[in-house]
Amino acid sequence: MSEREGEREMLLDVPVEPPVEMFLPIPRRFLEDAYRNDDYIVLVGPQHPGSGHMRIILRIKGDIIVEAIPDPGYVHRSMEKLAENRLYIQNIPLMERPAIMDTGNVTLGYVRAIEQALGIEVPERAKYIRTVLAELSRIGTHLYDAGILAVFLGHTTGFMWPFALREPVIEAMTRISGTRITSSFIIPGGIRRDVPWETLEFVRRVTYVLERRLKGFEKIFIKNPSVIARLKDVGVLSKQEAIKFGVVGPFLRASGVEYDVRRVEPYEAYDSLNWDVPVADEGDSYSRFLVRVEEIFQSLSIIRQAINELRSIPEGNVISPDVLDGYEEASSDIRGYFYRVFGNLVLPYGEYTSLTEASRGTLLYSIISDGESNVPYRVRVVTPGWYYLKGFMESLRGERLADLQAIYGSFGYFPPEADR
Amino acid sequence: MIMEAVYELLKAVSKEHFMENMVSIPLIQPVIDNLLNIPLVGYVVALILWKPMFALLIFPGLLTLMTVLLFIIWFERKLTARIQWRRGPLEILRWAGGIIQALADGLRYFFQEVIVHRDAHKPYFIQLPILIFIPVLLPLLFIPAGSIVGIKTPYALPVVVAIVSLIPVFIVAIGWASNSRFAYVGTIREAFMYFAYEIPFILSVVAMILVYGTADMTAIVEKQTIPGIILNPVAALVFFISTIMATSRLPFEIPEADQEIAFGPFVEYSGIMFGLVMTIAYEKMYILALLMSVLFLGGGNGFPIPLLGDLAPVIWMFLKTMAVMVALAFLRSIYARFRLDQALRLSWTTMLKISAVAVLIGAALNIAQVA
Repeated sequence: MSEREGEREMLLDVPVEPPVEMFLPIPRRFLEDAYRNDDYIVLVGPQHPGSGHMRIILRIKGDIIVEAIPDPGYVHRSMEKLAENRLYIQNIPLMERPAIMDTGNVTLGYVRAIEQALGIEVPERAKYIRTVLAELSRIGTHLYDAGILAVFLGHTTGFMWPFALREPVIEAMTRISGTRITSSFIIPGGIRRDVPWETLEFVRRVTYVLERRLKGFEKIFIKNPSVIARLKDVGVLSKQEAIKFGVVGPFLRASGVEYDVRRVEPYEAYDSLNWDVPVADEGDSYSRFLVRVEEIFQSLSIIRQAINELRSIPEGNVISPDVLDGYEEASSDIRGYFYRVFGNLVLPYGEYTSLTEASRGTLLYSIISDGESNVPYRVRVVTPGWYYLKGFMESLRGERLADLQAIYGSFGYFPPEADR
Repeated sequence: MIMEAVYELLKAVSKEHFMENMVSIPLIQPVIDNLLNIPLVGYVVALILWKPMFALLIFPGLLTLMTVLLFIIWFERKLTARIQWRRGPLEILRWAGGIIQALADGLRYFFQEVIVHRDAHKPYFIQLPILIFIPVLLPLLFIPAGSIVGIKTPYALPVVVAIVSLIPVFIVAIGWASNSRFAYVGTIREAFMYFAYEIPFILSVVAMILVYGTADMTAIVEKQTIPGIILNPVAALVFFISTIMATSRLPFEIPEADQEIAFGPFVEYSGIMFGLVMTIAYEKMYILALLMSVLFLGGGNGFPIPLLGDLAPVIWMFLKTMAVMVALAFLRSIYARFRLDQALRLSWTTMLKISAVAVLIGAALNIAQVA
């Protein structure tokens, strides 16, 4: 036997058997029943080009979906547990991770719960800038969802244009906060830095660019006959059903329920601005999409109004003096104030809840504090995706298999957001 | 007796026999004449310029097919990119705008592993993507460009339509051999679409046969002093929509919907096998575009270019075919995908009706001509 024997390439013939026992979160009875009735069980996802990181277990009779069972949790990141081991201020970047574009609204909800606990009143200028940031996030998210809907329908131009339109929005957010997407700009008591006038003027010009470009998008995608054919009268949720299944946000409004947290419990600057709540009556996929398109135009109007208001508010005061707690040099001590002010933030004993209208619907934060440690005892986050998952699954019932993608896109379901 | 047969055979493959029926190109005739005098090269040149062989190798055969495949895939991507505010293929052969992108992709497919999964029907799974080239390439022999044609027969049009109708059978067989759920769903969709577009497609061809009173493609081209699209625009519309359905392009990209069923019948293929099945739709598109240019756009008709001789109809026909293909490529960036039942409803009601109207128009024109 030569010395080189050991170095020779060897063929390892290891028989690889596919796993026989697979876990499906459905009872055995369901499978047997489907088999007896000549139904077909189709697993869509979790690695499917059309479904994202979620599995949908479909029971199909011919081409019609009899029952849809979701199997979420593939991108669960245990945010609530992680939040229990971090300082209150460190939780802000954590909370904005699940929703890619929705940073403004997601941080706003968490920060408002803290402000509620501490009883802080936010300065006027910070309120308006927060509103601008939240609405920019809303536009970004709706454009993102429109792109995903388009690619689900096989319309590649409808996918590329909103993603390109998202760029000016992201650029505006970059000029405001310094980061493209996860800005962590909203902090308890205000915002991190004041926004200079030139930046606000840029944001105002961005709104006009978007409005002009959206007209072209309307021609090629929104009013396209093949798109209307795919979305109209598909996945209908009636008003009663939408309420019963706990659907939230634009999807609830598409079923004819006029409920918007911004209107019902106004926060920040929403009650001093003039805007409409878009509502549709049909409750089908197309109206769910149209409501969000209309919301983009409302958001553009809100941003313009907020920037006009900001003209008359003097620059400088963007953090509440209550939270600074007498630390006068905060405005000059850019590197140090964050640690000094927020490093040892302790909330009083109790439970504090905030409701926010995030882009995809109602967002609930509930912070429980034990009153003595500088980390939360428990943070409960319920994202809109989790709220409307039930409604999404119910609306699939009785539709065709090919409609799954259209309904999925019309809900803008985003697994990382729902799984948290 | 045997000697006579051998003599006939030798005569059939002799240079003189090829030279009797040769493509004449006055522009380079002196060069060809010189080449023909060289012993072995002369024989090869005569063989290539022999009209049936020219049809097989140059136009509409192999060389043009390859060029068209390279070009149309690149062009489709580039056009879509331009509409979508992107650049499209660029890095490969940068100074030419990435025009050989499809060739590079093909080379990449060659060096990828071809995975044959355990559940597949192995012999069929491997054979069918290669066998499908028989119905895909055979129609090219019957399509004339001026006087250049592979096989000249009065039944050319029915033969081409019959062979083209065989392609979906192979695709259904591919899906069956793949033995996967997505392939199964895609196969059923393909079968449904096949039945849906086939009848309007054949009816529109029948309408044109009635208009011209013959099924011989050379005669059809000769009769088109007015292009067929003006004589019977309804049939042209039906033919165009059927072509979109037959090549499963948007908005009827239903059997291969990648967001729904991940390329349907072709989901299990990888490597060069995927490369082969991917080009089938484009080759079918080329054949149907050729057929459309023969039936409706006057084939090789156009003002003659004396210097090019027999090559002029080839150029006219190539340009017309490319125009049809570009129109088909443009659809991808405008439309979303219809649902299967919507496409079926469209073809079994509206398209069937207007194809019947097309046949009536054809019959009326036929009677008018006879009278």
